[in-house]
Amino acid sequence: MRQPHVLVIIPCLNEQAAIGALLKEIASCGECYATIVVDDGSSDATYDTAVQLSPVIRLLRNLGIGGAVQTGIKYAAANDFDFCVQIDGDGQHPPSEIAKLLNAYQQSPCSIIVGSRYLCNDSFRSSFARRFGGQAIAWSLNTLFRRCNISDPTSGMRLMDRHAIKFFSHSYPHDFPEPISLAWALRQELSVGECAVKMRSRAHGQSSIAGWKRLAYMFRVLGYVALTRLIGIRS
Amino acid sequence: MQTTNLHTVVIVAVFACWYLYFTARETSRQRLDIYDLTMLSTVAIVPLVFVLFPGIALRVAELAGVAFPFVVMFGVLFGILFIFIHRLTVKIHRLENDNRLLIQEVSILKTNNRSISDSSQKNPSQGVSVEG
Repeated sequence: MRQPHVLVIIPCLNEQAAIGALLKEIASCGECYATIVVDDGSSDATYDTAVQLSPVIRLLRNLGIGGAVQTGIKYAAANDFDFCVQIDGDGQHPPSEIAKLLNAYQQSPCSIIVGSRYLCNDSFRSSFARRFGGQAIAWSLNTLFRRCNISDPTSGMRLMDRHAIKFFSHSYPHDFPEPISLAWALRQELSVGECAVKMRSRAHGQSSIAGWKRLAYMFRVLGYVALTRLIGIRS
Repeated sequence: MQTTNLHTVVIVAVFACWYLYFTARETSRQRLDIYDLTMLSTVAIVPLVFVLFPGIALRVAELAGVAFPFVVMFGVLFGILFIFIHRLTVKIHRLENDNRLLIQEVSILKTNNRSISDSSQKNPSQGVSVEG
């Protein structure tokens, strides 16, 4: 049986301080992962740093996280990868944890395997406000979609198989993509699973979702999830 | 019989003529399309009809069950502008999606071109194959 082709998609914006170390860590973890860095219009040296270590798609304009991730998924679809794994460019997701997602897929194949920081006690824990928002979104997904049982819908570390790659290369949410993409996938009858992964705290930069934006984020995502359940999406 | 003050007729007629001329000129230069012209011209035509034929305004207000004819006029204008804005919003989102798609495709193509030119520089004797 041939080794599956795995593409690691790394969307990043102004991550010059973290991207080099992350790519070296992926190369040194001993697995044959292909990588693609999607530079979402960085104004610093992210592109120059990344291009020395990996293929880089430099977006002509900033498209946001959803547009950047979808670009990586399109690249995976065009180059016939079996799996793609999305990890953040800020180094919060240790590349050594990718193997856990692949193992989880082999044990129980689901189109999407989400890496959950809440199933693992010794993992980095985010703030209370973030956990509350994440749990409210998880509750809405688990309630509205009967085949769904996830604890960390906002996790940006996830594995997608060919079915998910094909679907997301055509339709991917550009606003709040992590939780809404799960709702879209579930509405399209794709299966979603979860496995415990360790995450690290952010070493550089800061999250774009802070302060009152967290509350707005939660309510908007809940609205989108409910609409997806009720109406569906354009396929 | 209801009549309208001549000053009002002149003011509304001048505005209507100027606005219709302006929108027609923009349409002829293809800065607006015919649909936009039709929708926007109601902003001039509806008040003109109400001013020239106040009896119609009264009759419509009676049918609509409102006390003042100008409420009907503003209601009609608001409805038309609402349809126009709704259509514009849909159009802007469609263009935004098209724009995103184009940026993604061009960026991927540029990356593929770069990797092709890199590999052809390393192996100048070999042909070039394009993936994706």
